[in-house]
Amino acid sequence: MKKSIWVLIALVIMMGALTVGCGQDNAPTGSENEGKFKVALLLPGKIDDVSFNQAMYEGMKAVEEEMADEIEVKYVEEVYEVADIEPALRDFASEDYDLIFGHGFQFMEPIIKVATEFPDVKFALGTGYKTLPNTCVYDINLQEGGYLMGTIAGMMTETNKLGVVGGADVAEIYRGHEAYKYAAKQVNPDVKIQELYTGDWRDVAKAKEGAISMYDSGVDIIWHSGDGIGLGVVDAGKEKGKTVLGNVADQNVLAPDAVLSGVVYNFSPVIKNIIDDVLDDNFTNREEKFYWLTVANEGIDVAPFYEQDDQVPQEVKDKLTEVKKDLADGNVEMPHFEK
Amino acid sequence: MSVPILLPAIGEIFTQRSGILNLGLEGVILMGALGGFVGTYYSGSLWVGVMLAVAFGMLFSVIMAVLSVTIRANQVIAGLALTILGAGLSTFLFRIIFGIKKLPPSIEPFQAIKIPVLSEIPILGPVLFQHNILVYLTFVLVIVSAIVLEKTTFGLKVRAVGEHPQAADSKGINVYLIRYICVIIGGAFAGLGGAFLSIGYMNTFLDQMSAGRGFIAVAVVIFARWNPYRALGGAFVFGLASALQLRLQAVGVPIPHQFLLALPYILTILVLISVSKKAEFPKAFTLPYNRGER
Repeated sequence: MKKSIWVLIALVIMMGALTVGCGQDNAPTGSENEGKFKVALLLPGKIDDVSFNQAMYEGMKAVEEEMADEIEVKYVEEVYEVADIEPALRDFASEDYDLIFGHGFQFMEPIIKVATEFPDVKFALGTGYKTLPNTCVYDINLQEGGYLMGTIAGMMTETNKLGVVGGADVAEIYRGHEAYKYAAKQVNPDVKIQELYTGDWRDVAKAKEGAISMYDSGVDIIWHSGDGIGLGVVDAGKEKGKTVLGNVADQNVLAPDAVLSGVVYNFSPVIKNIIDDVLDDNFTNREEKFYWLTVANEGIDVAPFYEQDDQVPQEVKDKLTEVKKDLADGNVEMPHFEK
Repeated sequence: MSVPILLPAIGEIFTQRSGILNLGLEGVILMGALGGFVGTYYSGSLWVGVMLAVAFGMLFSVIMAVLSVTIRANQVIAGLALTILGAGLSTFLFRIIFGIKKLPPSIEPFQAIKIPVLSEIPILGPVLFQHNILVYLTFVLVIVSAIVLEKTTFGLKVRAVGEHPQAADSKGINVYLIRYICVIIGGAFAGLGGAFLSIGYMNTFLDQMSAGRGFIAVAVVIFARWNPYRALGGAFVFGLASALQLRLQAVGVPIPHQFLLALPYILTILVLISVSKKAEFPKAFTLPYNRGER
């Protein structure tokens, strides 16, 4: 019996090493380009998820190309579990990285903890609310995105029934959902809205099941607020021949007949802003620690209608242009949605 | 949506009846989901995908069989290791096979088949008779499994091995072989359950798409007290609770959605508490068998 236990322990360790190896195959190694500003980006999912991670990856890639002489960036995917995050952050911090991005709400507590241990390293957290002098938060003003989608959905619906599907009920998503409902009622007071959360970002099958049940009850347009579960909603729309509004990345490619439009995030301006502030020594001393993706700084935009363009009345397009301009100028009145 | 729980549960009934606890179902399902997708993507045939999913499930569960039967390792630890390995390995292989793509690769999944006449029955019709072929296949497999376990010599051998391996051995039954076969049968079913997710319900493979269904399947097995028909009921109740909570959320019931989301799991725990007293585990459950020991 004794021997078998040791064999098992060895196997478990090997398996552990293997899986950890998968998650961190881009783990930090010595840098060849000494002197450059070193940036690390830790993503909770895959860089080709047509969503939250891909948008950030592409945003960072654009900045990296633009500032190729000054910065170098390391990318790590699939740092999803909180238990994996802290060691990963510590790895990069002790490898002399200057700025570390943790792309997701679950990075908040680990970043606060590790940032205390490494006061000279700067951290940027993607959505959240806690900050330290050497950390900042970049977040999406999804309120504006939700408002835009609510405007489209409220005007385009034929059944006066709309749906919205979200992952977990976190601050950013909540604001988006509320603004969506608010805007839809502004343009169409008769509209009824169904809402549901799947409770996580990965259970596509559950999201699809929920979306199908919405469509079956008469809903004709659903906006989803993003991530893996969004693919389930898109698939439901495709199967039922109903309309989907996407989020984060332009998802028209997934189902050109079902995806009418969507919110598109562009992280580049905000990433550039953060890096510039750190380089200009304007980071630790600033009071405003939140960097927002907004319509005004082109962090939030609306995806084109593509081949469904001729089905969208001019009236809707005009309204959309008007709302976008008003949002950018800060002329849209809506309540401040906070829990 | 009960199918991806029911299929692994049926397989796990075989495994547990022979005295092995395979907690690695979650990992096996993911490998099956990957196999199903890869097979379909490259061959263009959904059935090749199904076969590859079953093959992936069987191959992957061989690891569990070796660990639990030959090496006689602690089955809880080995199972959890298998879950972690399956989650990592399926993601890893998917990236190696498909690389980084702007657009996730996808296939045309199984289409729903409406059974004439029966599917016209109000309420029950759409619930029971408008599904893709894998769902009907699952119903058939439930019946076949029940017959195999209760009415055949093989089923008797499986139960003997799970209850009293020494006695079974003395009657000339190869305990190791039966246990290997049962763990691999479990893998085949779990692999098929994975295929249902990737090519039956969705049209692509996604990381962690099993989302805990492997563990629910293990709970269903205990709830069902190792009977395939009761497993059908258990999986159905869980699927129903899951669908119900989504509907309740959508129509805006004034209950916090966090509670509604937890509802199917709370239900599972309650049911388990109430039936676990009645559950008689196989006598040799999780006990490794060693011919040399008496």
